[in-house]
Amino acid sequence: MLVQLDGIFKWVQQGGQQIFLLKDINLEVEEGEFISIMGPSGSGKSTLLNVMGMLDTFDEGTYNFLDEPVHNLKEKHRANLYKQYIGFVFQAYHLIDELTVYENLEMPLLYKKIPSSERKAIVADMLDRFNIVGKKDLFPGQLSGGQQQLVGVARALVGKPKLILADEPTGNLNSKQGEEIMELFKKLNEEGVTIIQVTHSEKNAAYGSRTINLLDGRMV
Amino acid sequence: MFKNYLKIAWRNLKKNKGYTVINVGGLALGMAVTLIIGLWVEDELTYNDYFSNHDHIAQVYQSQTFNGNVSTGQAIPRPLEMELREKYGDNFEHLIMSSWNISRYLGYKEKSLSKNGNYMQRPAPEMLDLKIIKGEKDGLREINSVMLSASSAQALFGDEDPIGKSVEVNNQYDVAVSAVYEDIPANNSFSDLDFIMPWDKLLATQEWMRNAVDSWGNNSFQMFVQIDENVTMEGVTKAILNSKQEANENSVLFDAKIFLLPMNDWYLRSNFENGKQYGGRIKYVWLFSIIGAFVLLLACINFMNLSTARSEKRAKEVGIRKSIGSQRGQLIYQFLSESFLVVLFAFFVAIVIVFFGLNGFNELASKKIEFPWSNGLFWLISALFILTTALLAGSYPALYLSSFRPVDVLKGTFKAGKYAGLPRKILVVIQFTVSVAFIIGTVIVMQQINHAKNRPVGYDKEGLVQIPTMSQDFAGKYDLMRAEFLKSNAVVEMSASSSPTTQIWSNRSGFIWDGKPEGFQEDLAWTEVTPEYVKSLNMKIIAGRDFSREFASDSSAVLLNETAVKYLGIEDPVGKFLRDDNDEDPNPPLKIIGVVQDMITQSPYEPVKQGVYVFANDDSSYYNLRLNPEQSASQNIAIIEGVFKEHFPDLPFQYDFIDDEYGEKFASEERIGTLAGIFTALAILISCLGLFGLTSFVAEQRTKEIGVRKVLGASTFNVWNMLSKDFLKLVTISCFIAIPVSYYVMNGWLQDYPYRVILEWWIFVLAVVGALAITILTVSYQAIKAANANPVTSLRTE
Repeated sequence: MLVQLDGIFKWVQQGGQQIFLLKDINLEVEEGEFISIMGPSGSGKSTLLNVMGMLDTFDEGTYNFLDEPVHNLKEKHRANLYKQYIGFVFQAYHLIDELTVYENLEMPLLYKKIPSSERKAIVADMLDRFNIVGKKDLFPGQLSGGQQQLVGVARALVGKPKLILADEPTGNLNSKQGEEIMELFKKLNEEGVTIIQVTHSEKNAAYGSRTINLLDGRMV
Repeated sequence: MFKNYLKIAWRNLKKNKGYTVINVGGLALGMAVTLIIGLWVEDELTYNDYFSNHDHIAQVYQSQTFNGNVSTGQAIPRPLEMELREKYGDNFEHLIMSSWNISRYLGYKEKSLSKNGNYMQRPAPEMLDLKIIKGEKDGLREINSVMLSASSAQALFGDEDPIGKSVEVNNQYDVAVSAVYEDIPANNSFSDLDFIMPWDKLLATQEWMRNAVDSWGNNSFQMFVQIDENVTMEGVTKAILNSKQEANENSVLFDAKIFLLPMNDWYLRSNFENGKQYGGRIKYVWLFSIIGAFVLLLACINFMNLSTARSEKRAKEVGIRKSIGSQRGQLIYQFLSESFLVVLFAFFVAIVIVFFGLNGFNELASKKIEFPWSNGLFWLISALFILTTALLAGSYPALYLSSFRPVDVLKGTFKAGKYAGLPRKILVVIQFTVSVAFIIGTVIVMQQINHAKNRPVGYDKEGLVQIPTMSQDFAGKYDLMRAEFLKSNAVVEMSASSSPTTQIWSNRSGFIWDGKPEGFQEDLAWTEVTPEYVKSLNMKIIAGRDFSREFASDSSAVLLNETAVKYLGIEDPVGKFLRDDNDEDPNPPLKIIGVVQDMITQSPYEPVKQGVYVFANDDSSYYNLRLNPEQSASQNIAIIEGVFKEHFPDLPFQYDFIDDEYGEKFASEERIGTLAGIFTALAILISCLGLFGLTSFVAEQRTKEIGVRKVLGASTFNVWNMLSKDFLKLVTISCFIAIPVSYYVMNGWLQDYPYRVILEWWIFVLAVVGALAITILTVSYQAIKAANANPVTSLRTE
């Protein structure tokens, strides 16, 4: 079992009232799945994704990732866990503007303390695979949105994760670029990577093998 | 990884050029100031390190009490020498009697030069461990010998070998050069020791000194000692403290105390108050150390403020890095490396500034500091200094930036909280508190100097020149020279005196007068003057009359100054007498014929000392010439030199303008004032750089808000007001902190000067107005720029 959420609650205090962001989420994800999370704005899609990605905390419930109890782990262990197994793709790409394409791809490897020669090989391989060798010395600002998201996906993949979490990966792209990214996800899924994406589009959700609908923090 | 950090730091610096210039420039300026002050402090603290025995050398000091006032000084009586040698000899490795540093004409062939040196006993070169270039270290063995410093030997003999050559001293006697020693460097006592001659030679030529061998009351000599390895300074002082009183009953009256002042204290801790060692120059070492630390702090605050102000720009990067797997520690490390890079960069700029600024500084501080390129310790300390500064400046931004939660910043909902700006505000307040305090301090120092400068001196120091006449050649020539100078038309009046106009060389006691209180121990400044003294100096007679050559009885007449009249407690002093209290062989009584206005001869910061001016016909130390005001000074001097050379062809023509000599009294305070002024200006500049940078970020942050406000009808003034108000508030708070602090500190500083300026409220108002004006100027540029921006463009930034 890759991800196992049991009775997850998350809330914030606002003006003396408890507002629930997530309510009693129970979810199991097997390796190799391609899951789409859908729901209206504010229904808790991104929060759920961030909780699964360990970027955000929750207030109640248990979360096991590869049978490790995430809710009991220290920051360092948690970081090690997601550094190794999880890759993120963001709607706004979130590349570091001051680093070149090559350096952006290299960064996760630096944090994983992979030796230099190996790093070079992995990044070169990734550039090749995504057909962006010619752009490796450009800065993010010099690329189109689609190309930036391509780099974003490449960066998520460079650490060879088991799970990719994508938060509206095509939200900032035109339909053609969006389609390319979705095709890419499909291909990756076929190669064995587990993918969980948040999306507004029925069409994109159809790429997945399973859809989860959220409303007001609750699975419906 | 580290390379990656540096790369991103470097690109960030390059991308934000304005920010980088302000940050690196401000930091470099602060470091340069700190470095220069550090070098200066080091120079001060290593004073006298040239002498290898400096830990064991001391000068013998004496404290005496006159009417409850303790006066402390180096002057000791001759019989103390034998007393210490015979009864306390075990304590001393060397014990050396010495003259004061006096000037002598040294003649060789056609040349005659005026040089300063001491007459000292034989072990002096050994004690001072002089570096002998030629000849023998034991160069004072023969009574007719002289040891010369390298530069005076060079000046006198050029390329000739000086050893064994005969030098004529003051056209009186000949001595043979026995040794040449390396010049003593500037930051040492004895740095003006151009020659040393044997103490016995001085005794042989001066009858009064020979006569002083048993005179416990004649405190006119110096004594230096090198203590034995096995004793301490305190121990020796304890042993010899009452040696004078034990040997001489009379000195019990004055509670004479004999003690050692270690060489390590001569320069920095040589002030005495009530017989106790009380500060000295060390207070300036402290003062400047504190200034240096504060200036660096200001620069570091800039760095912290600008870094955190830019935090929103860096927030996204922090979020991404965290989501990719960076831990907080790694981010802290990253931001510290960035800070290290900036500091290192600033340090190199600072080195360049120091390198080019050091000459100017040396001139201002009258120092000879060299840049310690080859000093390993300096570089080691610099490395530590860089690391400390990097930590100091980088720690806050590092901790702050690395604490962002990735979810917040990546969602784009990141907003610095309500109190996020608070530390930044506190830092700005600290900066301006320091700056305002510096402004107030500098203004007060300058005021105090001006206050003392404008003090009436009691005579006319403009157009007054003195010529030293201590050589034997001048004996008996006063009347002749006076006639000659007056005839030349360059001089309108002339007199001679036993001490220079700006100093007191002699003090006397032992008088009786009508109404003298029982047990009163007087201490009078004693100046022997020719009858024309008052006229030549343009002093004012306020009672009685001036000296006159027409009254033969004036040869035993004196003039008192105003303070002396009050001090002695004589009502209607004119016509009364000061009689010698020596019963056996009394000097003739001195008739008081007049009272002159007080004249400042010593420190312009202290009350004038009670003094008498005694009629003398000839024997003098200085001629005082009142120049002809109808001709230029240079014309007058040229004529005077001609007359001088006519009569003294062998002597070098030396002269000083009295107003220059008087100005010397302010040199130390003026140096402090100038340096404090410069450092204050730099501190303000650094603070303004920071404020400027900060305003630009605030304006940028609020671009959207300003756009909306303008669309809704805000004027440029409204926007300017909105942006400036925040900073003005902070600066006002600073003023309220700075005023009491600086009042307290400066009031303490002024207590050292009996003649001092009164702290007036307008100084503080001036500083506040100045600080506010500077703030408005600094903030306005950015504020007006932001206010004038087209709202359409600024709203499109979304």
